[in-house]
Amino acid sequence: MYKYSDIDKKIIASRVKQFENQVNRRLEGKLTEEEFKPLRLMNGLYLQLHAYMLRIAIPYGELSSKQLRKIAFIADKYDKGYGHFTTRQNIQFNWPKLLEVPEILSELSSVEMHAIQTSGNCIRNISSDHLAGLTLNEIEDPRPWCEIIRKWSTFHPEFSFLPRKFKIAVIGCAEDRAAMLVHDIGLRIIKRKNQVGFEIFVGGGQGRTPIIGKKIRDFLPKKDILNYLEAILTTYNQEGRRDNIYKARIKILVREFGIEKFRSLVEENFSKLSNKELEIDDKSIEEIFGFFRLPPLKPNTNQIPSKNNHEYQNWIKQNVIPHKIQGYSIVQISLKAPKKPPGDATSNQMIALAEISEKFSFSEIRVTHEQNLVLPHVSNEELFNLWNQLKIQNLATPNLGLITDTICCPGMDYCALATARSIPISQKISSHFNNYLKQKEIGDLKIKISGCINACGHHHVGNIGILGLDRKGQEFYQITLGGSAKEDAAIGEIVGPSFSENDLIDAIEKILDTYKKHKRDKSDDFLSVFRRIGIKEFKKDLYDNFTKKA
Amino acid sequence: MVKKLQGETFLLSANELRSGKVVFFTSKGWSSSSSEAIKIKVDEIDRYEEISIKEEKKCIIISPKFVELDDFGNIKNLRDKIRNSGITIKI
Repeated sequence: MYKYSDIDKKIIASRVKQFENQVNRRLEGKLTEEEFKPLRLMNGLYLQLHAYMLRIAIPYGELSSKQLRKIAFIADKYDKGYGHFTTRQNIQFNWPKLLEVPEILSELSSVEMHAIQTSGNCIRNISSDHLAGLTLNEIEDPRPWCEIIRKWSTFHPEFSFLPRKFKIAVIGCAEDRAAMLVHDIGLRIIKRKNQVGFEIFVGGGQGRTPIIGKKIRDFLPKKDILNYLEAILTTYNQEGRRDNIYKARIKILVREFGIEKFRSLVEENFSKLSNKELEIDDKSIEEIFGFFRLPPLKPNTNQIPSKNNHEYQNWIKQNVIPHKIQGYSIVQISLKAPKKPPGDATSNQMIALAEISEKFSFSEIRVTHEQNLVLPHVSNEELFNLWNQLKIQNLATPNLGLITDTICCPGMDYCALATARSIPISQKISSHFNNYLKQKEIGDLKIKISGCINACGHHHVGNIGILGLDRKGQEFYQITLGGSAKEDAAIGEIVGPSFSENDLIDAIEKILDTYKKHKRDKSDDFLSVFRRIGIKEFKKDLYDNFTKKA
Repeated sequence: MVKKLQGETFLLSANELRSGKVVFFTSKGWSSSSSEAIKIKVDEIDRYEEISIKEEKKCIIISPKFVELDDFGNIKNLRDKIRNSGITIKI
């Protein structure tokens, strides 16, 4: 993984000192809250419902065991013993004290981590495929490109005060595991006539106006990527609206201009940037790629241990996938154990996982945008031992991609913007469907839950999306169907009037009944059925069975 | 702060600047216990708003707000209830 240069270290250390000074000035009354708020947000520090919240970047979802141990240490010393992995490969602490945040940032800097640009109207943490560098069908590892973009975008003077926040995702293969098409810019590495470059999408996003990104470039040579990103950001900076927060994202600009006009403006800016300053030479690319080499894995014929244990077998089937190097596996760790808040991990789990990763996976851990973790390089012969150790930590739930593997925002339990709670809904779903065979019968199904229209829980792109609403002081939940965050990205359609918390599980059961009724065979998943029969069938079956409607 | 207020009786709440924790205004100053908080009638709002502005300037609190009470003197809105009682889930 990437290692900080001396310059990186100096930048981060000076930023910690700078923020410490700003906090002191705030506490002494030399800065008002109005003056301090943008400064704290630039360091990932929000004020939420109960306390401050600190969001820490995990660049492109990659963590070392040392970093995870430090996060656990911070959770214990400065917070309440747990952290929350988010849908953009960050981690959040919900209870830090302002007074102690500079110390936390200093601790983070000692393991090459920070909270810079995890908030504010700037380019946020670059996210990526959690299986980057691990699969055979990848054109090229996207992580070095994320790092190149991270270096360019960190403290970029022109792009620190954009009209609105800006999110970029990079993937390296046809499969989209990073929700690339609902990012402000989505980059997919492709190969054309033996040349590797980028296919570029722009103007995707969720929130109150969900839009799938539009293709702006069929192919861009790799060396030009920073110039092209600079051209897109410059166009957005010049033309994006600053008069209305709800119309300030680039997706609105692209929609209002139309992709053709937006493209021509970008291309015009791109041609102006032909001074080559941002062109990346092969040597620099090679240097960055050097940080992302695979550990020394030797291909072998080791088989996955076969044990007469159903739980273990289910876990192997559901959570373990082949590594591109024969004899190794990629282990996906669910953070969706029954009755636990999705994406949360306790400090004890983190410490255990750091040790486990050192023993079984070359000290490497990945964070997924679906709020799970990955051990990327596990020898097949170690899988049973690994499973036993994960099980002790309640980290061996076999539900990856199934109905209880929900994405869920913190909702009204933590968030000052939320209109309803989301975690209790997720917990109800995980309790109700807590049976592996029942989940397998339903098949692959993504439920995504947001506690408000800002859509941090990605409900728009859930196969079943759930949006928490406030109806005259009562929590109600609107259901959308048919969304997808993958390469076939789609925004879900609202099925009809919303449901109370008490009726919601029954409503999901009715939706599943309709699905099962029309399912042709085992491979016919929920999304395929929805796309074949449309929303009307679901709607009819659902509302014929309910009298209580909001 | 008072523009969107509805109701008759309120508590004055805020977050402590240093810790961020939720506090309520009592006769003895700020407390984390809402049960000790002063119940403020709608016609007293201006006076307590002035207090909150002074407390903000003294760097004791941030984000002051009035929390509406129902006819029985209980916190009315779910968000405010959660803010007072804590998260509704087990970690």
